[in-house]
Amino acid sequence: MDLQPIHAPPTSFAKKYLFTIDHKVIAKQFIWGGFLFLVLGGGLAMLIRWQWAFPHEPVPVVGDMFLGATQGRIGPATYNSIFTNHGLIMIFWAITPLLIGAFGNFCIPLMIGARDMAFPLLNMLSFWIWALSGVMVLASFVVPLGAAGAGWTTYPPLSTNVGMPGAGQSLMVGAIFVTGVSTIMGGLNYVVTVIRYRAPGMTWMRMPLTVWGLWLTSILNVLFVPVLGSAGLLLLLDRMTGTQFFIAGSTGMGANAGDPILFQHLFWIFGHPEVYILILPAWGMVCDFVAFFARKPAYWYKGSVYAMTAVSVLSAVVYGHHMFTTGISPLLGTSFMLFTLIISVPAEMLFLNWLHTMWKGSIRLTSPMSYTLGVIWVFGLGGLTGLHLGTTSTDLYLHDTMWVVGHFHLTMASASFLVVFAGIAFWFPKMFGRMLPEKFGHFHCWSTVSLLTLVFVGQIISGYAGHHRRLFDPYQYTFLEHLLPLNRWVSYFAFALAAIQGAYAVVFIRSVFAGKKAEQNPWEVGTLEWTECTSPPAVHNFDTIPVIVRGPHEYANPEVRKVLGRDWISQTEPLGDSEQASGGAAAAGG
Amino acid sequence: MSSMSNPPAGDDPEWVAPVVQYDSPAKRQETTAWVGMVIFLASWGMMFGALFFMYGGIRARATEWPPQGLPAIPLFWPTINTIVIALSSVTLQWALISIRKGDKKKLTVGLVSTFLLGLAFVALQWKVWVDLNEIGLMHTSGFYGSVFYGMTWIHAAHVAFGIIALGWLCIQALRHFYSAPRHLSIRLWTMYWHFVGIVWGIMFLTVYIL
Amino acid sequence: MKFKHFSNKLTSVLVWIWTMAITGVAWADVPKEEGWGMPTDASLDGHRVDWLINITNVFITILFVIMVIWIVWAVLAHNEKHTADYDHGDSKHHVMVALSISAFIFLVVDGNLFYNAAKDLTQAFWNFEKAEAAANHVKIEVQGRQWIWEARYEGPDGKFNTQDDAVTTNDIRVPVNAPIIIQVTSPDVIHAISFPNFRVKVDAVPGSVNQLWLQATQTGQFEISCGQHCGQAHYKMAGRLTVMEEADFKEWVAQKSRDSKQIYDENAQAANWGWTWRKY
Ligand code: HEA
Ligand code: HEA
Ligand code: CUA
Ligand SMILES: [Cu+2]
Repeated sequence: MDLQPIHAPPTSFAKKYLFTIDHKVIAKQFIWGGFLFLVLGGGLAMLIRWQWAFPHEPVPVVGDMFLGATQGRIGPATYNSIFTNHGLIMIFWAITPLLIGAFGNFCIPLMIGARDMAFPLLNMLSFWIWALSGVMVLASFVVPLGAAGAGWTTYPPLSTNVGMPGAGQSLMVGAIFVTGVSTIMGGLNYVVTVIRYRAPGMTWMRMPLTVWGLWLTSILNVLFVPVLGSAGLLLLLDRMTGTQFFIAGSTGMGANAGDPILFQHLFWIFGHPEVYILILPAWGMVCDFVAFFARKPAYWYKGSVYAMTAVSVLSAVVYGHHMFTTGISPLLGTSFMLFTLIISVPAEMLFLNWLHTMWKGSIRLTSPMSYTLGVIWVFGLGGLTGLHLGTTSTDLYLHDTMWVVGHFHLTMASASFLVVFAGIAFWFPKMFGRMLPEKFGHFHCWSTVSLLTLVFVGQIISGYAGHHRRLFDPYQYTFLEHLLPLNRWVSYFAFALAAIQGAYAVVFIRSVFAGKKAEQNPWEVGTLEWTECTSPPAVHNFDTIPVIVRGPHEYANPEVRKVLGRDWISQTEPLGDSEQASGGAAAAGG
Repeated sequence: MSSMSNPPAGDDPEWVAPVVQYDSPAKRQETTAWVGMVIFLASWGMMFGALFFMYGGIRARATEWPPQGLPAIPLFWPTINTIVIALSSVTLQWALISIRKGDKKKLTVGLVSTFLLGLAFVALQWKVWVDLNEIGLMHTSGFYGSVFYGMTWIHAAHVAFGIIALGWLCIQALRHFYSAPRHLSIRLWTMYWHFVGIVWGIMFLTVYIL
Repeated sequence: MKFKHFSNKLTSVLVWIWTMAITGVAWADVPKEEGWGMPTDASLDGHRVDWLINITNVFITILFVIMVIWIVWAVLAHNEKHTADYDHGDSKHHVMVALSISAFIFLVVDGNLFYNAAKDLTQAFWNFEKAEAAANHVKIEVQGRQWIWEARYEGPDGKFNTQDDAVTTNDIRVPVNAPIIIQVTSPDVIHAISFPNFRVKVDAVPGSVNQLWLQATQTGQFEISCGQHCGQAHYKMAGRLTVMEEADFKEWVAQKSRDSKQIYDENAQAANWGWTWRKY
């Protein structure tokens, strides 16, 4: 009796590449889609940086193409649309699909020993609904009165017809709703797959930490994206039907007035978990990669699991730290501060586990390992700069400055962004059956890490000097005038960053089609996707469902070295009598 | 994987029972679908939870409710409606119990009556909207109107979705599609329908009565 | 597969050297005499924020440096020539060490933040009783709207929203060394009134009234900025804060009050946006 059905391999092009139910192909769809929007979001970032380096000067090249009406210059309304769409596209259409759509799909079934997702059809729908939302975003750029411009946080009343009468804003809110539906579908699938489809012996505490990260992320997605959905729906009703949920209306409406702050509550009840949604997969991967390449068991595996779980739980009760200046009561302000500071403890535990894992290891500085170290570096900077923000009194000064922008670019736009490259470097051989060039990987990694650091620490420095965010022309304020040279240098670094990503794109695409053929297990690690599957895996992943006898990071075991003559052992290889017995027993259930 | 479930040899600490219990494939799939439904409903519960949170936020501050100059929501028809939707949950549950025992006839009766009760619910809801419109409460009448209409619209949309599904289930039942071992969709839609009913109950309590 | 570690490391090192060189050039290019730090602190309590931010910067720098040294050391010393320890790090001893380090960092860094923030908020930033208790305190109502700051002083009758209110646009003046309590709202979208030189800001939210207070310790002109994205001209929603000697201020308010009274029009609803001073 076999545990899971084997789908017949698809034959037609459409079934194979478009309307596929194969989680590995869907993962690739998300990679291409995500990269496409990453290029768009990155392009918009370049426009921001151009404006801050050379305010009011025509943008070279793209200016003529897209900004003809203003002689290639960026106007204030256009600028607002640029950063709004930059933020939204990066979060929902670039990093989410890459980190969760691609790695969630690719890794979860392979790493837990499943043939596919629990609901393959839902999985397919999840991609196409996401694609639909992407089309809505693109459409929002060409409708009358311009694209959305109320900031990625979409605070009303600015985001209602009072401030943004254009169809672009409605389309964008709609697109957020639609992509939310897709995210929930995907999340539901991941959650159920991990609960139900683990191979025999794959107990919770034997799962790779990548899977733990992705699973917790999916739980947060399933629980909190609907809250954003509600907020978006009500905002759309306000915009389209004239309801007044978030519009305070004329004074004297008393109890009957809507309240714009309500939206902020709903938004951040979602929004804060969202930022952990974007970092948990990264943490999970870092936990695994550090062990894989330090050739040492992950230090205090369970501690990492507890820490990630604690962050997931706590993430629901810290959201108020985004609202310290909205006039919340002192009691709430202090509680949110306390919880925010507490949530940094599990993060510290994770860091300690990574550091301890590396200590006395046998570190192989491969390109995935380089990226991983880069992630630790940038996330350290980003996480630590979050402490000042979580503190109510210092946030009175830092709120809405570039300090916040620097903080979240170091966490999200650097750590979550870079971990995508780490993951690609690591799983590329499995995904495409080819290798990415190692040396270029190191070059790309270190130049990207250093430029990310320069760009976003530059933002922190300007925020420290009081530079507000979302300013079309910061130099209108005399107290910010002297920051022009700093901003200009940051822009140069950002342009260099983009150029290097361009080179990456070329190498990536070339390697997909013409890279060196990959072996089955080039990194010599013991998780299922490497030891039980070919590169790339067959459509049904596993000929027989593997039986798991141990955790994912069994390195440097002296006994293994004695018996097998190598420093690693797979999750399925029995070693010695006791494990054979237990493996057999675990298998017996099937 | 041949040898049948032997308990682990001795008290091996390494051995942890496989979490997934290996029932028959059909049974396993059913459990998987059930887990999926539970998680989906938890997710959707958060969606409605957010609406209630918003409503509670305004109510907690309001000094008077309904706000000055606005009519209280009449309770007669909504109360009837509460009974209707409660009844529909009962008939659907009865249908589910019947098909578990293999009684296809009772299943059909139960499904069709649930379907009709669902329609009645929407019709009555429509009447409540029209009546309120006539006494001057619109969805544009400030937050009070917005929250009443917004929440009932969203809820009604979920009922309507359920009704469409029930219609399909009725057709399938009439075709004798379901049997004691095969009625997963009935089971899942029953969960959905109860969920929508519970949300209504909470709404009736908070938005109508309080 | 064999890893070419030497060339990998060389690539990395070259990239870092190159980066450092450019950073050096960038650093040299930026005029340091104008300062990269926070704007001048002209307030009684701003130093609390500055101190807390700066001490935390010291703490996090120490943590970060320890972390980096640790990693670099590990990568260099415990490279693939080193035989890895077989250690799952889950013995009681290991767990206690990890928890103790975390607890220590938490108590020192976060504890310091929490303790001082709670103290600063109750003693200063949220201590409106103290501000109101001072005989010379000044109350101002501010309405931020797209894209100007309108201010209102109570005038001789000691009441807001009456004809003798002194009303100004983008021009707030306050006496030095006196607590200034500011209540804000907005008629259109959310703004935030922000005083960079005083380290405080609060949102101006349609439908509600928020408040902050500050106290200037030196005379002079400072900028008021808008801290929330509020549409097209958000970037230039600047106001001017002038800190004057008390006598000058009194004279100025009296004059303003007379001016405003002359142009007072009961029916000009938009101009009479004030409210009865809120008590919290
Ligand atoms: C991936 C995303 C991500 C992550 C992980 C975080 C993590 C954290 N964030 Fe951040 N944050 C954002 C993304 C993220 N944030 C975004 C997008 C916004 C802005 C949204 C907007 O307004 O547009 C934001 C805004 C934001 C604010 C609101 C600021 C404001 O608007 O005024 C606050 C306030 O508390 C905050 C705090 C924190 C804290 C305390 C953490 C903590 O979790 C960090 C914990 C980590 C550490 C504390 C570092 C670990 C420890 C070490 C490195 C030491 C190791 C050394 C040794 C052991 C020796 N964040
Ligand atoms: C994960 C999200 C994410 C990412 C990755 C980024 C990336 C970048 N961001 Fe962004 N940013 C946000 C999220 C993100 N940002 C958000 C949420 C806001 C707030 C918006 C708001 O205020 O409402 C913001 C705002 C923001 C601002 C402030 C605007 C303002 O307040 O006025 C600035 C200014 O410098 C900025 C700059 C940059 C830069 C230079 C990058 C660079 O790192 C970009 C470099 C990347 C590229 C150039 C793309 C490269 C392409 C590839 C790697 C693809 C390869 C392709 C193939 C293989 C086919 N961002
Ligand atoms: Cu007003 Cu920004
Ligand atoms: Cu947050």
